[in-house]
Amino acid sequence: MNYKNQLGALALIFLLFSCEESGSERPLGVYDTGVLIMNEGAFGTNDGEVFHLDPATGEMKENIFEAENNRPFAGLLEDIVIEEDRVYLVANTGKVEIVNPGDFKSIGAVIGDLDQPRSLATSRGKLFISDYGPYDADYNTPDSYVAVVSSLDGGVVKKKIEVSNKPEDLFAVGKYVFVAGSEEGKIEIIDAETETITKTIEVSGKPAQFFEARGDLWVYSYDANMIYFQSFHLDNLTKQNSQEMPLANATSRIALDEEDRIYILTSSGWPDYSDGITIFSLFESIFIPDWKTGSGFYGIGYDLQREEIYVTNSNGFQGNGSVTVYSKDGTEVTNMEVGRGPSGFLFR
Amino acid sequence: MTLLFWVFSVFGLVPEQDTVSLEQVEVYAPALDRFAQGQKLINFESKVLESYSARSLAELLQEQSPVFIRQYGAGMLASPSFRGTSAGHTAIFWNGLPINSPSLGQSDLSILPLEAIDQAQLHFGSSGALFGNEAIGGSLHLNSKTDFGKGFEGKIAQTVGSFGLFNTALSGGFSSNKFSSKTRVYRQFALNDFSFRDISRPGSPEVNEDHAQTEQRGMVQDLAWNISDKSQLKAAFWWNKAEREIQPVMGSNTVDHQSDESFRAVLDYFRFGTGSVWNLKAGWVQDKMIFNESLNETRQFFAATDWDFAKGNSWQFKAGLRATFIQGDLSTYSTTDQRVELYQSGRWTASEDLSLSLNLRQFAYLDNLVPFLPGIGGDWKFWDSDSQQLLLKASVGKGFKIPTLNDQFWSPGGNPNLLPEESVSGEIGLNWLKKGGFSWDQSLTYYRMQVDNWIIWLPQGSVWSPENIREVQNQGIEYQGKANWKIGGIKWDLGLSYTFSEALDLTSEPANPRQLPYTPKHQANGNLSAEYAGVVLNLGSFFVGQRAIGTGNARILDSYQIWNAGLQFSDLKWGNTRFPLSFQVLNLLDKDYQVLYLRAMPGRSYQFNLTIHL
Repeated sequence: MNYKNQLGALALIFLLFSCEESGSERPLGVYDTGVLIMNEGAFGTNDGEVFHLDPATGEMKENIFEAENNRPFAGLLEDIVIEEDRVYLVANTGKVEIVNPGDFKSIGAVIGDLDQPRSLATSRGKLFISDYGPYDADYNTPDSYVAVVSSLDGGVVKKKIEVSNKPEDLFAVGKYVFVAGSEEGKIEIIDAETETITKTIEVSGKPAQFFEARGDLWVYSYDANMIYFQSFHLDNLTKQNSQEMPLANATSRIALDEEDRIYILTSSGWPDYSDGITIFSLFESIFIPDWKTGSGFYGIGYDLQREEIYVTNSNGFQGNGSVTVYSKDGTEVTNMEVGRGPSGFLFR
Repeated sequence: MTLLFWVFSVFGLVPEQDTVSLEQVEVYAPALDRFAQGQKLINFESKVLESYSARSLAELLQEQSPVFIRQYGAGMLASPSFRGTSAGHTAIFWNGLPINSPSLGQSDLSILPLEAIDQAQLHFGSSGALFGNEAIGGSLHLNSKTDFGKGFEGKIAQTVGSFGLFNTALSGGFSSNKFSSKTRVYRQFALNDFSFRDISRPGSPEVNEDHAQTEQRGMVQDLAWNISDKSQLKAAFWWNKAEREIQPVMGSNTVDHQSDESFRAVLDYFRFGTGSVWNLKAGWVQDKMIFNESLNETRQFFAATDWDFAKGNSWQFKAGLRATFIQGDLSTYSTTDQRVELYQSGRWTASEDLSLSLNLRQFAYLDNLVPFLPGIGGDWKFWDSDSQQLLLKASVGKGFKIPTLNDQFWSPGGNPNLLPEESVSGEIGLNWLKKGGFSWDQSLTYYRMQVDNWIIWLPQGSVWSPENIREVQNQGIEYQGKANWKIGGIKWDLGLSYTFSEALDLTSEPANPRQLPYTPKHQANGNLSAEYAGVVLNLGSFFVGQRAIGTGNARILDSYQIWNAGLQFSDLKWGNTRFPLSFQVLNLLDKDYQVLYLRAMPGRSYQFNLTIHL
């Protein structure tokens, strides 16, 4: 899940509150509050799904896409994005499903013409979908692209904008769509009106995640030994500030708290496989390596309302995974079984 | 559950006799007929094999045995799950050669066409001592049959059917008393453009599968030569090439292509002595698999010898040695492996009613020694009247599976420190045979098995790596029954089979062990056929119970029951030429089902077969 979704969700909540006062907005739906848990599913099985948790009661609703639409999600769920009063469920097996945020009923989809979609952003009433493109014989992805769809409710892919290999996160600001080109360390900026790349900025590490902090747009990147943060001037699309810190085995998964502290998931990977969470701040001198350690950490999220950290464990994808909730002082609040391959959250 | 008993099946529980002289029957009969006392066997009758010749081994086993077949779509990967074990826990032999891929440790039953073989036997339970590597859940034995003194024989078979099915098989053979040769060629093609409800799309529209075309071509040559009264040479060669578009799982739009090409060759020399047979065997198995553009190739060379001899009237022994040389050139690594195994079997026929066997094997690979493997079993016919007999069978055995080449060397992730998987299994069974106007053959078997060091690939960050992690406890009950009778000139055959299979994963949640993924607890199948004046009408069905798609609280797939029907004219003749005609309807009730989650399966289909025997 993208960090921007949390901001988007917050914005939506504010919007809803303000609209409620005017009495003109729809009532809150079942899924407009609580936590959406993204379960990626297992490779080759396409059993990705969304669970819904009410953190106040602990009540968990399983497989809400299937429950509300009478058909399985049938994909590997790579990302959940909430924008323009729609929830976009991005399946890296080649489709995007679009549902209503309140009741999760299907609104539309993008099916066909996608290969391995990773994330999505909206701008100027269009969808922009980052996609690795097809694998070649050596399992490289030289034909990565950002797909453009003309309607917010899905439909056919109108155009594929060629970008650097393995684009991940997207972030839309005004008419610009920022693309995190993970393999070649490039931030490519698409003009949503002309649907072309207007600027390419090189950054250190593998850019993985955009986020907004204290009024600036940042991108988080990492490599085997370091983490990097780069912010941008949005007026002239140039680099602004950058910070870096030695940290081994960082992954693409991060979460931000209300004080803009960044929780970074680390994993030594094969063969030793020891995982951890490191806390870092761009604005204070905070760097706490291995704030938590464990094995099997797969995804991370932060609940701004309750000030709690959610960490997922994939349990080797053999069956269901689990989620452990920690308070900010590091004590475990609760642990629960969720779906297969839990990888992220959308806090509503 | 009562539903289960409304399905019927025909089974061959009694080994079919070979046509050659008695002494040679013993020779050709694989060790399983002679030293597998106390162990369950199913020997498929030739008429059953014939009726499936245009279909696959996977379908035969699913519809006519207790083995569960994990089918990844129509004509796609089909792997056996025998008594709740995994795909790599079934050893598969062709004319005595183990043909499972050494890199994958399993076989794809969809690309072992029945057209290429004459005999198939299923052996149940762990029997590492008798059959070696991978015989944990059971083993499958495919064989060519050698005829002598039959002159010229030929056959042309053509099957056409729904979804672009077009299978052609030609075979021709000549045999004198000295020499025998049989050649067969076949091509099996299916467009597989069946329609299915695509539940991954909004509105679940009915769509046509457009990426599941399969084509298989092959050639089999069998040769045998009676060099003298005392010696015989036999050879067989099998080439098979399968080109398949890989049917994507619903919700994916992959367009993968897989090509599998196998060469298998075996050469046997037999030397007959007084009450003894000496066999010298050489074999070659080469598998070449191209997945998209990634090439994986393995070659195995086998050299084996054994000596089979009788001591007095009641003792029979066999001792042998097999060496295997393996070369693997996989897309991410190359390696070699050598395996040596020594085996001994003994059978004591205490009386006409009681026989016991003991099997032993010692196996070594690379620098590893597999612990000594024993197996013991007995058959006791404790009641034998003119029309009925009761036979008690009991056996205990160990099985093992050495880590596959991929398990050990795949880059990245391969784990060279893996231990062999090990199993212990025991079974007890009762056979009840009744002869006469209304005859039956029924068997009830209880088995129990423990598999340890079960290898599972787990994600370690972004890399998957295998570990000896799982421990599984299996137990189950298998019932097989067949009956036949005649009323008013109509010959009826009824077969019923039910399997209860519990396979508990003791690893994921030891306190609350649950059934392994994709392992149905209940399976049943059956067949009812009526024959009158060469016209056979057949109705068959099989039932597969619910199964989870993952460990723990995973999603449960619905059970399904599929019905098939057939009509056959088996006595059609024109002069001396016999040309049986058959018509089959598969999935008669057009059931929408999935064997594996989101893998579409075809609805109702029709097949028409004409065979001309020259």
